[in-house]
Amino acid sequence: MTHYQMGNPGSYPYLLALWLLPLVGAIVAWAFGPQLKRLAGPLCSALLGASFVATLLSWHDATQSVATGAANLVGAHQALVSWIPGFNFGLLLDPLSLLWTCIITGVGFLIHVYSIGYMEGDNAFARFFAYLNFFVFAMLTLVLSDNFVGLLVGWGLVGLASYFLIGFWFYKPSAVAAARKAFVINVAGDVGIMFAIFMIVASVHSISYGDVFGSVGSLSTPWLLAICICLFIGAAAKSAQVPLHTWLPDAMEGPTPVSALIHAATMVTAGVYLVARCAPLWSQSPDAQLLVGSIGGVTALAGAILGCVQWDIKRILAYSTMSQIGYMIMGVGVGAYEGGVAHFFTHAFFKAQLFLGSGIIIHALANEQDVRRMGGLVKKLPFAFVAMLVGVLAICGIPGFSGSFSKDAVIYGTLQHGHPVLYAVGILTAGITAYYMFRLLFVTFLGAYRGEVDPSDLGIRHPELAGTHTAHDDHGHDAHHAPAWLMNVPVGILIVPSILAGWLLFGGENSPWAHFFAQQFPQATLATPAVSEMTTTLIVLACVAIGIAIAWRRYATRDAQDTAVERLRTESVKMPAILANAFYFDAALDLVFVRSSQLLGTLFGRLIDPQVIDGAVRETAFSAQWLGTFVRSFQTGLVRAYAFILVLGVACFLVYYAVTAGGLH
Amino acid sequence: MLPMSVPLLDYVALSSVIFFIGVAGVLIRRNPLIVLMSIELMFNAANLLFMAFSRAWAHNAGHIFAFLVITVAAAEAAIGLAIVVTVFRTARHVDVDDVALMKG
Repeated sequence: MTHYQMGNPGSYPYLLALWLLPLVGAIVAWAFGPQLKRLAGPLCSALLGASFVATLLSWHDATQSVATGAANLVGAHQALVSWIPGFNFGLLLDPLSLLWTCIITGVGFLIHVYSIGYMEGDNAFARFFAYLNFFVFAMLTLVLSDNFVGLLVGWGLVGLASYFLIGFWFYKPSAVAAARKAFVINVAGDVGIMFAIFMIVASVHSISYGDVFGSVGSLSTPWLLAICICLFIGAAAKSAQVPLHTWLPDAMEGPTPVSALIHAATMVTAGVYLVARCAPLWSQSPDAQLLVGSIGGVTALAGAILGCVQWDIKRILAYSTMSQIGYMIMGVGVGAYEGGVAHFFTHAFFKAQLFLGSGIIIHALANEQDVRRMGGLVKKLPFAFVAMLVGVLAICGIPGFSGSFSKDAVIYGTLQHGHPVLYAVGILTAGITAYYMFRLLFVTFLGAYRGEVDPSDLGIRHPELAGTHTAHDDHGHDAHHAPAWLMNVPVGILIVPSILAGWLLFGGENSPWAHFFAQQFPQATLATPAVSEMTTTLIVLACVAIGIAIAWRRYATRDAQDTAVERLRTESVKMPAILANAFYFDAALDLVFVRSSQLLGTLFGRLIDPQVIDGAVRETAFSAQWLGTFVRSFQTGLVRAYAFILVLGVACFLVYYAVTAGGLH
Repeated sequence: MLPMSVPLLDYVALSSVIFFIGVAGVLIRRNPLIVLMSIELMFNAANLLFMAFSRAWAHNAGHIFAFLVITVAAAEAAIGLAIVVTVFRTARHVDVDDVALMKG
């Protein structure tokens, strides 16, 4: 089982190009922003497009498989920096990182183009694109690194880029708070990975994936479990898994393209990548698999439930993202790597599309994000409706759309790997997903437009408070509007893979997908479940149908549409506190981490520092002073006294010698 | 050993007497001039011993050391007198015990 060895060593100029082009864009847009002005957007987009082309040109290198002795070398390995043995840095492009690279550069390119339209009129246009390209570079570093330290560097840099972009409108206090929160939680995850690296280096003396995965067998079970848990702390923080998910909904303070690129399609799936990349570690530690799978399941369910009670269109999508990443983590956690990774692949398309579609709505409604103040948009924004509809059908797993293939693969994978509870959670979550996504669709597009209705009639308590529920993208709209096609074309392009991407999984073991990853993941012996895959699909579909039916009854019937204002007000006012407060995760984190840190800080500030540390310093000073006073008393200043002491000393010597020498003769 | 008309122990006794007169002078007297003179006494007590032993053991090192001591004594007297003069200029009188600026 050494087929996860590093790729074929060699020189791969396309690989270097696709990695460095976004960095060039970031530096140029950053340094020459004022000179470039509006050109920064097309420039950065073009560089990223070139990076995508380079990715496609690397396809052959990334999927090549060369048999060398006992092992098959899969993919391309480009050495970069040689350090001490075991600590070499390089780029690794194998099917797994190729998949991520394609999404990062491909979907990233579309979102860049969309941003040219969306961010038109923002004063910091060039800065925005510099950040976006910087993010892409950081994310590529993360997925292309051939070792854990390079991964951690990328891991930290994407956190930084995320911080920059969430807090892009830094004059909004809520955006700054959200950026800070995201950064702090992400750094907590970085620390987890750092400790995992410490443990890996202590036992394997190497940081390269090949060496580490090759010597998994020599690690003791508890040690391996500890490494896996530390790695997963990082993955959970980055991928918004319970209980480290609270930053993701707040991260919607950033511009909508950022939410689409970073907080839906790419960065938040880094945890999925990490688990999939370290599959050889997880496969040897069933306890870690159970932990990761369970947390994924809990996250999927919690995100879906919380998605049902949100009113901010982006927060609905944020909780939906969290829930879908829960699916992915559940899949890769239990060992269904191909299914989990496939859900990342399809999710990147349909979630990016949903976010970009919601961006069109937000843009058109002058930054309104509260779905209660929308309604009836199907006539106003037919294109957005089509885009959102396709996205919703895909995420719900309607047969034929991409989500259905990958979600069923994950749900069925949990059963195949012997986790019936997670299987049930997956099916339940699918039903809830259908409910809240159709709720979003119905409330937004059906009925009458409610933008002119008094906010308090809709149960909106503090419409003037930009913050948790009515965070607005308030970039300047005085400038001329960019052509609509800049925003519509990327969304239109995304519709295609949102529908079709899942078909790559069609055919089970003979599908292109299985072929693509044939040599990537360790194969586990699968149980033959009592429930067949087809039955699973039908059960999921039944749950989805129930979810849609409930959403239809509550929001889409003629009666519901006519009384929408009252119904929305009732629902807003009567929302259970536990749901309105998102299961009190924020409060719990506050209590456990913030309060305890504050308590510790108070202890040190009031007791340890003033008493122990300052005390030691003061005591040292006092004793030196006392000693000085004592010794000073000998300094009489009388020369004769000094002379007397001198004579006395000499006399002592004389007596000593007289005694020891036996006296004078 | 060369024949000596005066026994060596007499030189040692005389030297000791002169030396302790010097020590007593330094410790007791407060006039810096007298103190300096007492120091000269101690130097010369040492010189006397150098001479006596040099003569007794027919070795020239004692002569050479005596010259060195005389040189050092001259330098010491020069510096000591200079200090005395400086102190006198500022304080208009000289007393060893009054020069106690370094008292801690």
